[in-house]
Amino acid sequence: MYLKSLHLRQFRNYRDQEVYFTAPKTIVLGDNAQGKSNLLEAVELLATLRSHRATRDRDLVQDGTASSQITALLERATGSVDLALTLRHNGRRTVALNGHTLKRQIDFLGVMSAVQFSSLDLELVRGGPGYRRDWVDTLLTQLEPVYAHILQQYNLVLRQRNALLKQQKSRTDALAPAVDATELAVWDAQLAALGTRVIRRRSRVLQRLAPLAQAWHHAISSSTEHLEVHYAPNVSLENDDPLLIQHAFLEKVKERAIAEHAQGTTLVGPHRDEIEFTINQTPARQYGSQGQQRTLVLALKLAELKLIESIIGEPPLLLLDDVLAELDLKRQNKLLDTIQDRFQTLITTTHLGSFDAQWLQSSQILTVHAGQLV
Amino acid sequence: MARLIEQFQRLPGVGPKTAQRLALHILKRPETEVQELARALMEAKQQVGLCTVCFHLSADPVCEICRSTSRDQSTICVVADSRDVIALEKTREYQGVYHVLGGLISPMEGIGPEQLHISSLIKRVSKGNIAEVIIAISPSVEGETTTLYVGQLVKPFTKVTRIAFGLPMGGDLEYADEVTLARALEGRRELD
Ligand SMILES: Nc1ncnc2c1ncn2[C@@H]1O[C@H](COP(=O)(O)OP(=O)(O)OP(=O)(O)O)[C@@H](O)[C@H]1O
Ligand SMILES: [Mg+2]
Ligand SMILES: [Zn+2]
Repeated sequence: MYLKSLHLRQFRNYRDQEVYFTAPKTIVLGDNAQGKSNLLEAVELLATLRSHRATRDRDLVQDGTASSQITALLERATGSVDLALTLRHNGRRTVALNGHTLKRQIDFLGVMSAVQFSSLDLELVRGGPGYRRDWVDTLLTQLEPVYAHILQQYNLVLRQRNALLKQQKSRTDALAPAVDATELAVWDAQLAALGTRVIRRRSRVLQRLAPLAQAWHHAISSSTEHLEVHYAPNVSLENDDPLLIQHAFLEKVKERAIAEHAQGTTLVGPHRDEIEFTINQTPARQYGSQGQQRTLVLALKLAELKLIESIIGEPPLLLLDDVLAELDLKRQNKLLDTIQDRFQTLITTTHLGSFDAQWLQSSQILTVHAGQLV
Repeated sequence: MARLIEQFQRLPGVGPKTAQRLALHILKRPETEVQELARALMEAKQQVGLCTVCFHLSADPVCEICRSTSRDQSTICVVADSRDVIALEKTREYQGVYHVLGGLISPMEGIGPEQLHISSLIKRVSKGNIAEVIIAISPSVEGETTTLYVGQLVKPFTKVTRIAFGLPMGGDLEYADEVTLARALEGRRELD
């Protein structure tokens, strides 16, 4: 797929800016805090309806305004598509395809695909399990848009159940009647049913991603290093039968009932999943030097790129935020060999010095200054 | 004028623009018409309460539907809200009576079973002359929980079915068109 143009209105520090992409590689050049990452973030939002930097839409909407619009023209194998996303200070969103407002946001997902790679992604190795869950969730959302709905429902059940456990906790010492066991059982059943759907989908996508990541890792690192990507769900997954998983889920809920009661929060479920990366059987977090950790993240990103391409049948966009300059020449070249002209790539940088002259020539260079292209 | 606009804006689904339009409209109408509207508002508020049997909106202690001799008093349709009764009545497909819960179970909003008209439903059903309870609640997370909860309590006494409608995600019963609802009533399935 090919992103032909992008129009940002009242988005972050962009008041009104149109951007035309004229080459498979675009370098977005500028000093710090000029709007390079903001531009990539807009593309990320169109692809995933999420931003890895912002959790509230009011941070995305330009200060002093009520709403922002991101529109884009995307060329796909099946024809061109107009995408439009409106973000509001109050959090309400509107999405439209080819001028038609969609009733459900999930119908907007999967139209544009992108893999984002920024220096924050090193947290995939170094950070807590939440980063890894977010990563696999974002990937799943693009591959199976209905997953966005399942995950949202799961999180809602989780919050409701936590509220109930909290009430239960505060009631035990008071004279008020204890929480209705039937009600808790019904929430348990919903948690298990939706949680099982989350677990099975995460497991499925990681099974497909793992060999790709392993192969890439092999190719980039010295071949003595062996990467393993291992899904460690909180509710163990011995086979793929949804009924058996639900059963195991509810068993574990029962086992942990006293602890849940004491802590007033849900302790069982995919919100506690882990995804482990090991290199030669050692956890990557402990094993790696910075360079090795970067190699690992690069392998994961390349695997994502290939997986999306093989599933949707078209190469997704690649968004490289500040990371290229951080890679040594060997890894830069590996990445660029893979991208070639097949994957449209947007690259941000503060200086052109560390780029290979040959492909600087074949790239479009956009200079950003204070939310405007100059 | 500003006060009037502000009052309109408090109504559900009315934004600042609509509120202004409504206020301007009111000011343009003859006084008698505005009086009629004001009276209708006051009288509705003063006279309409809840039916003591089914908790649907009613001017009398027992509503017209519960009093009706032509309706099947042995079939109860359980809904979350009076709006849902109105939506289902429009289909003219349903001949039984209703039970309005007055909301959905939602711990985050502090709504548990005891805040809803659930014990009164069990009382109604436990008398033994109810042949079927149909649960018509939207399949949201809270709706699903309420459906399962009510189902468990009612099942010892009678047959329980639920309407299996393919409502859009996040959709309310209110927005389901009449054809969809009528079809859903025919295709209800037993709750397990
Ligand atoms: N909601 C907003 N309204 C207006 N300006 C904003 C908003 N959010 C962020 N900004 C501004 O955007 C700028 C940051 O832009 P961005 O993160 O794209 O920088 P960058 O060019 O990627 O810089 P770096 O090289 O440091 O990564 C800051 O000046 C910030 O004040
Ligand atoms: Mg940046
Ligand atoms: Zn009644």
